[in-house]
Amino acid sequence: MQSEALLSAQGITKIYADGTVALTAVDFAVRPGEVHGLLGENGAGKTTLTKILSGLLQPTAGKILWRGKPARFSSPREALRAGIGMVHQHFALVGPFTGLENIALGAEGNGLLLPMRAETIRQKLMELAEASGLRAPLDVPVEELPVGVQQRLEILKMLFRNVDLLILDEPTAVLTPQEVAELFPILRNLVRQGKSVIFITHKLREILSVTDRVTVLRRGRVVGVRETPGTSVEELAQLMVGEALGGGVRRAPRPPGPVLLRVRDLRVPGPQGRSAVEGVSFEVRSGEIFAIAGVQGNGQSELVEALVGLRPWAGEVEVLGQSLRGKSPAQIAALGLVHIPEDRQNLGLILDFHVVENSVLGGLKPFLDFLGGVRWPRATRFAQELLQRFAVQARGVRAPARSLSGGNQQKLVVGRELSKSPRILLANQPTRGLDIAATRYIRDLLVRLRDEGMAILLVSADLDEIFELADRVAVMYRGTFSGVHPVEELDREKVGLLMGGVALKEAIG
Amino acid sequence: MRAILESLLTLALGILVGAAIISLWGRNPWESYAALLQGALGNARALASTVSRSLPLVLTALTFAMGARAGLFNIGAQGQMLLGAVVALSVGLLSLPAGLQLVAALGLAGLAGALWAVPVALLKLLRGVSEVISTIMLNWVAHWLALYLVVQKLSDRVVGNRTFAVPLGMRFPSVYGELTWSLAVSLATALLLFWFLWHHGLGYEVRAVGLNPKAARAAGIRVGRALSLALLLGGVSAAWAGAIQVLGRFPYAITSDLANLGTLGFDGIAVALIGRNHPLGILGGAFFFGVLATGAARMGLKGIPLELIQIVQGVIVVAMAAPEAFRLLRGRTTKAKEGVAT
Repeated sequence: MQSEALLSAQGITKIYADGTVALTAVDFAVRPGEVHGLLGENGAGKTTLTKILSGLLQPTAGKILWRGKPARFSSPREALRAGIGMVHQHFALVGPFTGLENIALGAEGNGLLLPMRAETIRQKLMELAEASGLRAPLDVPVEELPVGVQQRLEILKMLFRNVDLLILDEPTAVLTPQEVAELFPILRNLVRQGKSVIFITHKLREILSVTDRVTVLRRGRVVGVRETPGTSVEELAQLMVGEALGGGVRRAPRPPGPVLLRVRDLRVPGPQGRSAVEGVSFEVRSGEIFAIAGVQGNGQSELVEALVGLRPWAGEVEVLGQSLRGKSPAQIAALGLVHIPEDRQNLGLILDFHVVENSVLGGLKPFLDFLGGVRWPRATRFAQELLQRFAVQARGVRAPARSLSGGNQQKLVVGRELSKSPRILLANQPTRGLDIAATRYIRDLLVRLRDEGMAILLVSADLDEIFELADRVAVMYRGTFSGVHPVEELDREKVGLLMGGVALKEAIG
Repeated sequence: MRAILESLLTLALGILVGAAIISLWGRNPWESYAALLQGALGNARALASTVSRSLPLVLTALTFAMGARAGLFNIGAQGQMLLGAVVALSVGLLSLPAGLQLVAALGLAGLAGALWAVPVALLKLLRGVSEVISTIMLNWVAHWLALYLVVQKLSDRVVGNRTFAVPLGMRFPSVYGELTWSLAVSLATALLLFWFLWHHGLGYEVRAVGLNPKAARAAGIRVGRALSLALLLGGVSAAWAGAIQVLGRFPYAITSDLANLGTLGFDGIAVALIGRNHPLGILGGAFFFGVLATGAARMGLKGIPLELIQIVQGVIVVAMAAPEAFRLLRGRTTKAKEGVAT
């Protein structure tokens, strides 16, 4: 180690109560004044490691040195006091409270009985915001702010608590490309002021553009530490996956077939009487992937859930010429329209059911005898086939779905839905949170299905995914489409701008 | 495996705390427990009594367990049990061939129990009324209705403090001592519901809805149908508990204070929790309850006051039911805001 480390973890091993080994003898060090990337696939141990550093978890073995002295944080509060703060993927903000109130909440020495310090807090926040570039409105309820601005408040909150080490868990997962572009200079700025940042991601490009150094984790072990200027996307990818990553199948141009799904003027009510989808029209043809791009929360999920019969809607929807009006989820599935839900853990699977039980979810009929009894042996064989055909890794067919990794859960859902021999597939964020190998697998599968003549509606916030897969693209923003374009007419910049609308600029003022 | 270990551990804990309480009263706890075991399991007659006492508890526990498997907190077994007892007894007023009369009594009692579950299902599905509220209210309606019928319409003209006795041809024949063939009803119901939940398509749907109603709905499962089924089957089971208590156990009548029906419905909740809401676990849990109930008499003979015995029983039951009750409540709080859609 050439310079004294701010934080160094030595020989960290973490074994969870259920026997899962999440980390094995991990050495990890952060220098003062650097952005340190923590790269790895899902399940590689990034989150476990940072949870240990921030006091949320205790290591099974190993030690942590903070400013050169042995340290042990038994809670996030203790870590925060020492100067380590973590911003989680799901923000810890109270929706109806303003930014100021959120930051004041739980601040040291500012109990309920001392409300008078509001102005002091504001003063200090203004100074911090000025110095760091983290401009954010302090008097607007945070739920009304775009996600990117909420994130700034989270970071500001940490600076207010005087952290010297800021841990950001996949900070770009929820941001538009423009918001990402604004976040990076802020991080560089923090580092110039002597702070250190741990930046967790599985996106290689981001590592190269913002970090100084990078530690790569694979299956709970450190497989490499690199100075960012001396490395490349290819090298990092190889470290992360353990093998060279193929580019994926190229979509061959293909004449579109007949229209299988037709949507006219679809309106879907959202929460609190607001309208989530406000008059959207499109059609999806056999042999094409129609993509809806957009930042999450602009009505995409409501749109998809309406189409599969889980939400009331108005307008006209036809599947293979038949209207969906008044049809139940089971009837819609029977027409040949299946759904890979965004929230696979809550909507796609029953986590406490084992693999066999989940394999027949929504498709139990072929496995019933004349009394309505389930032929479990037959269902078990079917589940085994699914595991094999879709390369699902599970301890066995009797393992609860909960015990599968995210990628394998998703493959199980996808396999199950495809086994219903659908004509139309609605895939909502099908690769979100998946590791590279699983992502590759799902994307290749979607292209193959398209080539076989399926009509695919893809909802995604991931531009790489959109440009790799889509034939035509609509960008959804606040419940409407800003036009439908063949993918050839678009570039990343354009889609990114459409995804962000003008909300970000308005919010910051 | 883990469940059995946990049960043994909580049992040991309950016994230890119970022992401490007995010691506090200046009695020898181990002698007391020995008396309890002696009284409940000491000889064939005692064992028959123990099993006999456990039989209706199996059925009311199944009611709660069916609800719990569907994600419901069904505490309506008490009312359904009372009605089942009254209806089964009333069939004695008809003159039917002996075997047929017993079958008719069970059939009509079961029907009554199911009907008593219909408003619970309708209120839940159409108006979103929590089953906790509606079953508590229906329990009281059933209680007063049963009391009215027992006192005013079905009372014995000679004896006075109970209803007329079940005609001999409508009683369950004896197996040994107090134990009668009502044993078959409880065992068969438990096995049938076990088969239903884990080997029938509708039972699969009930469990799916109980674990994750959103995913079940998305998979095309009719959530309302599954919930209704769990409530109706539970109603039948609870009503049979009342029926076999009247048709299969002395005094083969209902006492005018409903005392021989007691709180079988509510006790069933504790039995279900001890049995982890699993039909086979419930058989064990009910037997355990039977042991406590039968053995209490022998403890009493040792000069231990009844109240003390009940306190010790309560401590042991609470200890054993606590883990499952805790899991259930935790599940409910996380699901509380999702509501129900058909």
